[in-house]
Amino acid sequence: MNPTKDTAGNAPEADKAKERASKNPGKRAGENNNMPLAEYAALNIADIRSALVAGDLSALDLALAAQAALEHLDEQVHAFVQPTFELAQTTANEIDSHNVRATGLAGVPIAFKDNMNQQGTRTTCASKMLANYQSTYTATCVGRALAAGALPMGKLNMDEFAFGSSTETSAFGPTCNPWDIRRVPGGSSGGSAAAVASGMVPVALGSDTGGSIRQPAAFCGVVGFKPTYGTVSRYGVVAFGSSLDQVGPFGRSVACVAATMDAICGRDALDCTSQDVSFSYEQAAHAGTEQGIKGLRVGVVSGYLDLPGVHPEVIAALQGAITRLQQLGAYIQEIELPNAKAALSAYYVIGPCEAFSNLSRFDSVRYGYRRAGADNLGEQYELSRSAGFGAETIRRIMLGSYLLSSGVYDTYYYPAQQVRTLITQDYERAFEQVDVLLTPVSPRTAFEFGEIADPTQMYLSDIFTIPINIAGNGGLSLPVGLGEESKLPVAVQIIGPQFKDFNIMRVAAALEATYDIQRLAPLVQEEHRRTAALRPGEKSAAPRPDAESKPKAHHDDTPAAHDTRLDKTAGEVQ
Amino acid sequence: MKNLETVLRDWEAVIGLEVHTELTTLTTKMFCGCKIEYGAEPNTHVCPVCLGMPGALPQPNKAAIQSIVLAGLAVGCTIEKRSMFYRKNYFYPDMSKNFQITQGPVAFCMRGGLDLEVVGAAAKERGHREQTRPLTGGAQGYLTHIGITRIHMEEDAGKMVHKGGESGRISGADYSLLDYNRCGTPLIELVTEPDLRTPEEARLFLQKLRQIFLALRISNCSMEQGSLRCDGNVSLRRRGTNALGTKTELKNMNSFKNLHDGLTYEICRQAEVLEGGGRVVQETRHWEPSTRRTISMRVKETADDYRLFPEPDLAPYDLSDEFIAGVRALLPELPDERRERYLRDYDLPLHDANILAYDVDLADFYDAALQTSAKEKSTPTQQLAKQLAKLLINEVLAYLNAHNLTLAQTALSPENLAGLAGLTLSGALSSKQAKAVFAQTVTNGDSPQEIVDKLGFKQVSDVEELTAVARDILTRFPDKVREYRAGKTGLIGFFVGQAMQATAGQANPVLLNETFTGLLNE
Repeated sequence: MNPTKDTAGNAPEADKAKERASKNPGKRAGENNNMPLAEYAALNIADIRSALVAGDLSALDLALAAQAALEHLDEQVHAFVQPTFELAQTTANEIDSHNVRATGLAGVPIAFKDNMNQQGTRTTCASKMLANYQSTYTATCVGRALAAGALPMGKLNMDEFAFGSSTETSAFGPTCNPWDIRRVPGGSSGGSAAAVASGMVPVALGSDTGGSIRQPAAFCGVVGFKPTYGTVSRYGVVAFGSSLDQVGPFGRSVACVAATMDAICGRDALDCTSQDVSFSYEQAAHAGTEQGIKGLRVGVVSGYLDLPGVHPEVIAALQGAITRLQQLGAYIQEIELPNAKAALSAYYVIGPCEAFSNLSRFDSVRYGYRRAGADNLGEQYELSRSAGFGAETIRRIMLGSYLLSSGVYDTYYYPAQQVRTLITQDYERAFEQVDVLLTPVSPRTAFEFGEIADPTQMYLSDIFTIPINIAGNGGLSLPVGLGEESKLPVAVQIIGPQFKDFNIMRVAAALEATYDIQRLAPLVQEEHRRTAALRPGEKSAAPRPDAESKPKAHHDDTPAAHDTRLDKTAGEVQ
Repeated sequence: MKNLETVLRDWEAVIGLEVHTELTTLTTKMFCGCKIEYGAEPNTHVCPVCLGMPGALPQPNKAAIQSIVLAGLAVGCTIEKRSMFYRKNYFYPDMSKNFQITQGPVAFCMRGGLDLEVVGAAAKERGHREQTRPLTGGAQGYLTHIGITRIHMEEDAGKMVHKGGESGRISGADYSLLDYNRCGTPLIELVTEPDLRTPEEARLFLQKLRQIFLALRISNCSMEQGSLRCDGNVSLRRRGTNALGTKTELKNMNSFKNLHDGLTYEICRQAEVLEGGGRVVQETRHWEPSTRRTISMRVKETADDYRLFPEPDLAPYDLSDEFIAGVRALLPELPDERRERYLRDYDLPLHDANILAYDVDLADFYDAALQTSAKEKSTPTQQLAKQLAKLLINEVLAYLNAHNLTLAQTALSPENLAGLAGLTLSGALSSKQAKAVFAQTVTNGDSPQEIVDKLGFKQVSDVEELTAVARDILTRFPDKVREYRAGKTGLIGFFVGQAMQATAGQANPVLLNETFTGLLNE
């Protein structure tokens, strides 16, 4: 474990961008679209804002640089299922033609998990079922990000309908971990994490039902945040577990995540479980770096590190973070969460029950995959759903269908809700004593493709994240460096009281500032070295990594029209 | 098959109803902002929410909650302050999400009931009068209480039209068309206790419920358009026994007559099965008005498993005392109360009070007319009230029925009807003239006084003038005068008729009658 070592040295590139931003005011739009890859990939939101204000970069420059980055990197990563370059350029031109705003997400390339509706795109949930589904409307979180000036670069790969922890269940083939393309990026928002870690976009949106933002963020070494349930509208995000789902951002830094949160959070009349937010995430993060966290109380959960299967690198990372927090003047206190161990069981009752019902609408009648050859309605349902859904999706639907059936309901669903209440109370009690909790995100670092074949083993990889969805609190995955042996990203999780996400932001920003760690996967530097300056449509002549090393799509029947592995013509939306 | 009367001598029918009412007077659907409009072009009032598009979430319509609470208060229900929405999961193409948002064990309205007055011919169906009360005033019939289990809120499904095939039903159809305009329309479902005992009681209950809902103005309650729908559960048991028999569920009873006839058929059918030593099968049966029988739709071997669970997209509902009090303040006068007032304050004949009080449009019109005349005239209210009721029933209703119109479709205003009542009551118009005036004001909206002036209608009520006319008639018919004086007093009608003819119908017939009697008995 050596979290302070900067192995790739990408920070100097970011410095160059800042330098240029101050030296070259008054540059016109489109003149700087030959930005070096590593330079673009290292930009954070603050850099983009200052460059736009200084006139050194235009929004179109950024859109084109992002496009070039995608074209160069995504063939290896496969984070995107559908790039939307034209939409990004149109948005960029609009921003440039109006006066560039230095706030919000103006000019910030962004991408959306493919369970988020965006008019003008397909929203597939990485399922054959919705492979051709054109969004008829735009999700609130997407709409708000776009209204804040973000440039939509495309839709991101995920586990099918968000069922999974590795992005292996995508009907369009898995996404690779940019740190090691033989490994999974985590899931279900694997595409979002990989897109940020590989520098293709500085921020991305994902959704988290049991860890689907935090675990891939940890695996890919980026910041990932699941806000308190109700903070971001779920309207337009294809539901998995309605009472568990929450949208949140991935970013290169806590500040990036905070700025994105400010753009997308708050009450939405279209989601009656959403709530008003009375503070600024960005200010909360700023307070962390400026004022520190002296006197804040940080809880560490008793027994968490003694759980079987927790990797030594994960334990080392957590202990390192504790030491740093103490050095910052925080009090460390041990906290009991007696019921947290039941969270996984409750989750695998409540989640599938809600999923079973939420996925019932995919019946091939109004939209979605329809298999020909049915003689009657029942057969049409059966054939289409059997062929349209992948194995994990079918497993969850059947599980939910069983758990809700009469006679069984009282044995599982009802007790699961009672357990949920107990767990929620555990956290309420904990936050009477401390301001945040510090836990691991995942028991281990990124695993190899196919390494975990047993679904129940896969489910166990979410033991530290699931209780937070059950209780509804916010949780942030903060990368703290690379494992000493594995050389893979390791992270810690910072959890806050409900609707007091500002505690999380403050502690995360303060803790982050103590690390000087690599944020971009080595892949970016490798690609950068192959290419001096990039223009969209130009490809470096350097040979691609051996195709053999890439995992194959798990589904042989992947719809050909939507295998959008950066097939630039097929992938662009009309 | 035995007839109902015979069957009910040996068997007791146990009937419960499930009544679905669409809240058609609301402007938007239950969980989205789409308009509610009957008969619109298919799929023109739809959005991501009611089409069940991926990612769409429901947003509850507060006005619909107000309507159901109003309904609950009107039928004596307890309003549950905390209730939840549930998902009822089943696959059918008219339900876009493949689950229906409905309510669970606790509905907004629980435990109410209505007193049902069964009079006249309708009372004859119930030979055994246990658990009933006599009617006040010794009228023929009885009073019975029908318990209401609950009223819950749910969303309606879309409509399917099956094309091809013979029956118009899904089996055998070539394809089906879907119209989601109705999908998501707020629906309240009222479930009764199994307290009904005859088809007439069921019919009267539904009628009374409809009158109440119309008075609340929460729905247009059209069985024809399907905004009021009723399913029946019916079972038989031997008279004197308490155990419930196996029930069947009856569907497609889309008129009051069909409800009555469907239940009647089903009761007789079950009796025949049971008397033949058979067993009633628990099933859903479809009433076919054309063949006048019920046919089996599907046999329920096990209860349907709808996998009901709390709707996670909607928070539990907490109704405040202020909200409930606010809705209570909106409760209009209900039909029963209205009839009481008409009988008590205006001394209307029971027949008239019944007709007016149970038709909210007619009653509102009646009250409005009374109010305008009370302001203007000093005529005794009771007398005017009776006269107005008579005009409304004899003239207005007859006119509406003859022309198949509603009050709102005519030019008649409460003021003009009150004016007409005043003119006839003061004797200024003969009844024949009154009819002529009505015929005009109902179509052109002119005031009765204007019409009278224009037509030159004037009733002669001057006694001296009438005496002169009468003397003239008596001189012209000396034979008749002799006959009258010899005892043929019926001839008075002849004299009055002659006088009316002589005055072109303008003489006051009552006064004429008195005048002739006086002269002839001199």
